[in-house]
Amino acid sequence: MQEVDNIFVAAHELKSPLSLLRQLALSMEIDDQISLKRTQSRMVEVSERALRQVNDLTKVSRLEDGLFELEPVSIRAVCNEVTNELRYLYRANHRDIFEKYTNHSKLVIANRELLYSVIYNFCSNAMHYSDAGTRARIFVRDRKGKVEIQVRDYGPALPTKIWKDLNHGWLREPTSVAMRPGSSGLGLYIASKFSRYMHGEVSAVRHRDGTSFTLILPVSTQTSLFGE
Amino acid sequence: MALVYVLEDDEIMGELFKKYLRGLCKVKVFQDAISAISEISDDKPSLIFLDILLTGPDGFTFLNEVVSYEDTAKIPVVIVTSLDLKTDNLKNYNVVKILKKDELVPDDIKNLACEFLEPKNA
Repeated sequence: MQEVDNIFVAAHELKSPLSLLRQLALSMEIDDQISLKRTQSRMVEVSERALRQVNDLTKVSRLEDGLFELEPVSIRAVCNEVTNELRYLYRANHRDIFEKYTNHSKLVIANRELLYSVIYNFCSNAMHYSDAGTRARIFVRDRKGKVEIQVRDYGPALPTKIWKDLNHGWLREPTSVAMRPGSSGLGLYIASKFSRYMHGEVSAVRHRDGTSFTLILPVSTQTSLFGE
Repeated sequence: MALVYVLEDDEIMGELFKKYLRGLCKVKVFQDAISAISEISDDKPSLIFLDILLTGPDGFTFLNEVVSYEDTAKIPVVIVTSLDLKTDNLKNYNVVKILKKDELVPDDIKNLACEFLEPKNA
């Protein structure tokens, strides 16, 4: 039954970008040359968002097979890669993102692909749910033998139900109610699954003016090889 | 020019509404119910396009608020959603039509605007 519910939520979540793509395609009939370009880039943006979600869902189904190896991963490199990919989208949406690193431990134990997905998910959420003109922030710091990656956004706070579930350990299922606009919490559920696979902890803090999502990962002892 | 409210949390969808209604009416897009509620008493629309799943208070909260005041209770509301809803259950909220997001075409929006923004005594 749970599986059926999850499929339903996933289908519902994918329906949004598909409906939007259809609508954008229909709107091209009344576009002039300038707005055609804009519509086209919107379509690319929406389809990339949907494709990423499909890819992440595929990865969730492969988690149980243990196909993702855990290894030392440079946290800074992954965060840089995510922000570089998202920065143009942030700017196109009149938002910005900046990074701050105070961590001395450079390597964490993770799977690079899954870690990328988790941070991308947090940052992408931060873009969608931040108010225009604000700057989301990635803050990476040491935390007692672990590394904490925090993504802070400035928009609507996370609903209390999701916040409670998440802070009890992890999200066991996507919610059937909207987590934040246009979202069933599927992205957060996926991030939660990936983090658990990597022995990480996910949590969230509600602020009056937004939300911080945090991922804590174990430090790799191989860090010492780099003279730290 | 008549005023239409669009309550839609998706920025792109909000832009599309503006595009579809260009030249027909003045359009104000709100991404959440609170900001629409705080403006509606000062600047009353002739028609409202309402998404249900919004940031914070949802579309039903907005409907309850609108219908509870005499000066806004009669404003026709068109729900635009991906949820399965029936107009019969929402008649008391002055919901005149429910459009499914995955089925609607630009003319649906235009035609409804023309229908409800036309002077009735003409």
